[in-house]
Amino acid sequence: MMAASAAEYEAFVREVVATTSGAPVVLTLRDLTPGKKKYRGLNVRAIVSRPPKPDEPRLWLRSVVGVRYPQPCSVRILEELPETFTAEPYSDLFDAMARVGRSR
Amino acid sequence: MSHKDLRGFLGAIEASGDLVTTDREVDWDLEVCAIGRLACERDAPAVLFRNVREYGGDWPVLVNPIATWRRLAIAFGLPADTSVRRLYQIYAEREQRLIAPTTVEDGPCKEVVVAGDGVDLFDLPVPMVHEGDGGRYLGTWDLVVSKDPATGWVNWGIYRFMVHNERLLTGFPRPTSHLGKMLLDHYVPRRAPMPIAIAIGADLPSHLAAAATFQMGGNEADLAGGLGEQPVELIRCQTSDLYVPASSEIVVEAEVLPDQIAQEGPYGEYPGYRTGEMGHAICARVTAITHRRRPIFTVDTTGFKDSSSIVTSISGAVAIQRRLEKHGVPVTAVYVPPEGAVHLTVVSVKRGGAATAQQVLDTLTARRALMSKIIVVDDDVDVFNLAEVLHAFATKCHPGKGIHVTHYEGRANTLTPCYSQAERVARSGATVAFDATWPLEWPLETIPVRATFDRSFPGPVQQRVLARWKELGL
Repeated sequence: MMAASAAEYEAFVREVVATTSGAPVVLTLRDLTPGKKKYRGLNVRAIVSRPPKPDEPRLWLRSVVGVRYPQPCSVRILEELPETFTAEPYSDLFDAMARVGRSR
Repeated sequence: MSHKDLRGFLGAIEASGDLVTTDREVDWDLEVCAIGRLACERDAPAVLFRNVREYGGDWPVLVNPIATWRRLAIAFGLPADTSVRRLYQIYAEREQRLIAPTTVEDGPCKEVVVAGDGVDLFDLPVPMVHEGDGGRYLGTWDLVVSKDPATGWVNWGIYRFMVHNERLLTGFPRPTSHLGKMLLDHYVPRRAPMPIAIAIGADLPSHLAAAATFQMGGNEADLAGGLGEQPVELIRCQTSDLYVPASSEIVVEAEVLPDQIAQEGPYGEYPGYRTGEMGHAICARVTAITHRRRPIFTVDTTGFKDSSSIVTSISGAVAIQRRLEKHGVPVTAVYVPPEGAVHLTVVSVKRGGAATAQQVLDTLTARRALMSKIIVVDDDVDVFNLAEVLHAFATKCHPGKGIHVTHYEGRANTLTPCYSQAERVARSGATVAFDATWPLEWPLETIPVRATFDRSFPGPVQQRVLARWKELGL
């Protein structure tokens, strides 16, 4: 397991239930650490917990139109992934992330 | 004649009272754009922030360069109080007088050059525009250059780009856009990266040309010269053979990856909403950043009545009128009201009726269908007067016979808020034409008569009333 690089993240998801099922998922996290690099993207394989676990970084989930779900989650990063996903331009990102998740 | 660069334009809008400059510290994280957004909604001046948190005084940020008709008039080198109707005429005239650009060996945008591993997008004061956006948007008021490798055609467009990390951008030029088509037709099949250059803070005519609805194969640099009435000076990029306006404040050079994607969006766009189009984008690796010393980072705080709505209102309307004329529609005027977020257009015609309304609809949805609502009015309605247009729509459009709808696949505007996620993915949608003209088959003597001052009173009575108006205390 990799150490968390920040205390708080957000992620945009299409399926909240699947994301918080407890199974490993592939996500793009946005680092909410204050400073010049706030909102930096980080692709990971991780386990999301809701309600949050106290020893894990806080994670806020947002919908595909950016609405923040009120219940906080936490995230345990299992693996940092490459900065991009292999797919043609305009491909569905969520499908590409799911493919990576299935291949791990 | 327009100003040669952004700084000349800023001097002019400051002199006219259309720019506020502040040295008070503001936060790039939402605060800058919250101020800019409210300024758009209140038709307030543009704002130049000279003290942005964590970036200090070396990276000023300008929000909403255009966003009002006054500032658009100044961008054309005209008095700020020039009427909208006159601005439309000026645009249509200058659009016909293209002026080719010149090239220069050195220019302001090369004062500082950062390339390769030295590139860090977080060195730029890229703002978080809206709460809930997918990230920080570098490209809002930009000019993106791309080139067709088969024909050498160079395209300029205003496309959104978001910072993913230090060297990676993601963006959403729509797949039906000129850049999108170029990428899909010529680079993706060859698995070749597509060079692009994102110019920020160029001269205003160049941005107006990039935002224009211009024909495929047309050279927007020539259009910029025409709109500004002088040639634009272009300079070669550091890492590609693309050329950008030499006066640009900042230039980000990059390559769009033909086989990689990353998260982009959602983003609060010009229709005034953050729609669910995220996750179908492109990504680009930055190869170099060049800029002026103490460059001005420009931002359009996109949403209701933003800069792009004003600019596209005029270029879109002129393009629509030309297309309708080319297809034989008896069009007399076209207006795309900024309040309609480039989704609504008003077309007046000499000869109305159902067939004309259908012809307008068919012509405007043949390739790309950015407009989803069209109101067709008779030519006695002033298209620039929305009260008259609304009156005609409310009273003359037959609710059973006057509504013409066309459905299409593969060319809809994916940013249209009323479309479902499935429709966005399929780019399927519809456009409706509201026929607010009198039916051609009605005998003239039976057409309802407007109960207005100019239509329901004899000339002598009108003249007497006008002569006595002040005397009556009115």
